Amino acid sequence: MLELFMKFDGFKKIESIKKLQRYNLPIPETIFIFNFKKQEKEIEKFLKNKKIVTIRSDKKGGTDFCPLIIGCQKNKAKSLIKEISSKGYAVILQQYVPVRSRVSGNILILKKHILAELMGTGALSLMNREGKIEEQIKFKKKDLTEVSHFGKQLIKKRDLINILKMVKKIPVYHLVEFTLRRDGLYFWQIKEDKTAKQLEDSQNR
Amino acid sequence: MNSKQKTILKGMPASPGGQVQGKVKVINSLQGFKKLSKGDILVSSFLTPDFVSFMKKNSRISGIITDEGCSTCHAAILARELKIPYIAATVNATKKLKNNITVIMDSDAGIIYEV
Repeated sequence: MLELFMKFDGFKKIESIKKLQRYNLPIPETIFIFNFKKQEKEIEKFLKNKKIVTIRSDKKGGTDFCPLIIGCQKNKAKSLIKEISSKGYAVILQQYVPVRSRVSGNILILKKHILAELMGTGALSLMNREGKIEEQIKFKKKDLTEVSHFGKQLIKKRDLINILKMVKKIPVYHLVEFTLRRDGLYFWQIKEDKTAKQLEDSQNR
Repeated sequence: MNSKQKTILKGMPASPGGQVQGKVKVINSLQGFKKLSKGDILVSSFLTPDFVSFMKKNSRISGIITDEGCSTCHAAILARELKIPYIAATVNATKKLKNNITVIMDSDAGIIYEV
């Protein structure tokens, strides 16, 4: 068990996926690859019966922009995983969740508020890496009433509130990434954002 | 804020840091970064990963304004880490703000004023 924790230690994305599981938040089917050779059979088993997979990666110490292939054809997956592994990355191999989702977004847990930033089309990385956003809603944490709204409405308020109820107890200044599709709700990662405190401090100035 | 000062643009306060004044530099390529001088306000469509890497090494600007962006994207988190005021999602800052004009950014309110 100790060995298992040590293996994840320092891999921020992987640790965050483990954290999502601890909060009982649903994630896509996932395996972590630290050693391509040793885990080759595990990879083959994962790829079986899948046409497309998502390949994410992580590096000890965490760099912001690790290799990412959102929709990778099954026949190319093994060689790409091998290539990414050889560059010193741990690979996060996941079930492919098509980007034509209903809505994807980030939820930021603040002290008194919850901030949801959403986009309706494309992968969430478009928002994180390229700043594409279509809707921002701020809620009071206490009773989840809406405080402010920016952009067009992408999601029924009731659906969003249900998601917020699931993440409400996550510690303050944490960011949770999610995708809501007709076939289900998936969480991608949870990460601490200590800088988020500044968003609250400014309101008190 | 002087009541006579005219609002040029509004956006989202992605990295609040009070009011700053600076010269606008509209930059949309990594090469353009070389034009930045200390105290300038960087105006761009968005800060892509290349820009973000550059910012980590060159945090001498006084503010950032982008057409796109939000409070939870990588660029916003980095701006807050580096304590650089940042107003995101202005939609058309790169068109409305001309090079070398001086503006005041109220980064807490997300408003850009004419000087």
